Amino acid sequence: FQTPTPPSVSVIRLPRGPDGTSRGFDPNSPRYQALSPISISTMGCGNEADLEREQQARVALRERYLRSLFAMVGHTIHFTMYERVNVSAFFDASDIDILNFQVSDLQTPLGVHREALLRCSDIISYTFEL
Amino acid sequence: MSEWQRKSPLEWQTYVNKEVKVTAAEKHEYKGWVLTIDPVSANVVLVKLMEDGKVCVSVILGHAVQKVEIVNEGDDEMKEQLVHLFMPEESKAYGHEELEKRKSSLKTWLETNHIPVTEQGESQRTLCVAGVLTIDPPYGPEDCSSSNEIILSRVQSLIQGHLATQL
Repeated sequence: FQTPTPPSVSVIRLPRGPDGTSRGFDPNSPRYQALSPISISTMGCGNEADLEREQQARVALRERYLRSLFAMVGHTIHFTMYERVNVSAFFDASDIDILNFQVSDLQTPLGVHREALLRCSDIISYTFEL
Repeated sequence: MSEWQRKSPLEWQTYVNKEVKVTAAEKHEYKGWVLTIDPVSANVVLVKLMEDGKVCVSVILGHAVQKVEIVNEGDDEMKEQLVHLFMPEESKAYGHEELEKRKSSLKTWLETNHIPVTEQGESQRTLCVAGVLTIDPPYGPEDCSSSNEIILSRVQSLIQGHLATQL
């Protein structure tokens, strides 16, 4: 027996934040600064050869990750979020810092969102099949 | 920031191509072969090669990683498989003579179809069609460049038809 497709739901807009211009998310707020990961982790001071090796490692690791993101486009991805929430959607794009994923046809228990932005800080893991 | 996220790229690299067990937030556990660890987010990309030839990819977000244990050091065969995963198809290497043959054969075919074609570029390696489309070695449909979509698609199908008769 097939479950009927859940109806589309409209996106609920958050009220404007205290500064009057944002929608509840301010990248300059102390909370975000504390929660967002520092994007470059490095050994700091080290000799040139070590720093070069570290940079080579960073390049190799990052290239593979970017290629894995390319491979995801257009596929259905299953996201395991916090609080035992599981959703699935088509992957469209990621931002450069891997803080948000743009997805479409997000299937949630409340309905289907045609376009959505998932915060990576809300996701524990995601999986897909090739 | 978790301990996992504070590791250096060289430390993360020690896990690549190995089979690991990852313990994540809310007691989730994952096992698979490490394809890579994103140095920006510390996301761990695990790969499981299924029997039907499919690949199952699980990525654990860096901020959710609690523990990573190596369960299998892996071998060269596994490493090879992982290297080629997600990589675009590598172009076959053609010898100089082979490329010349392909070029002449394609040029003749285009001329037979009344399409003006000239050779240009250093060492005359590039074919130029009607002054608006170029074909680089190895002269396949994907090697065409043009700003005119219509001509591009017509020439691509001509080349495809031509290559089909060559096999």
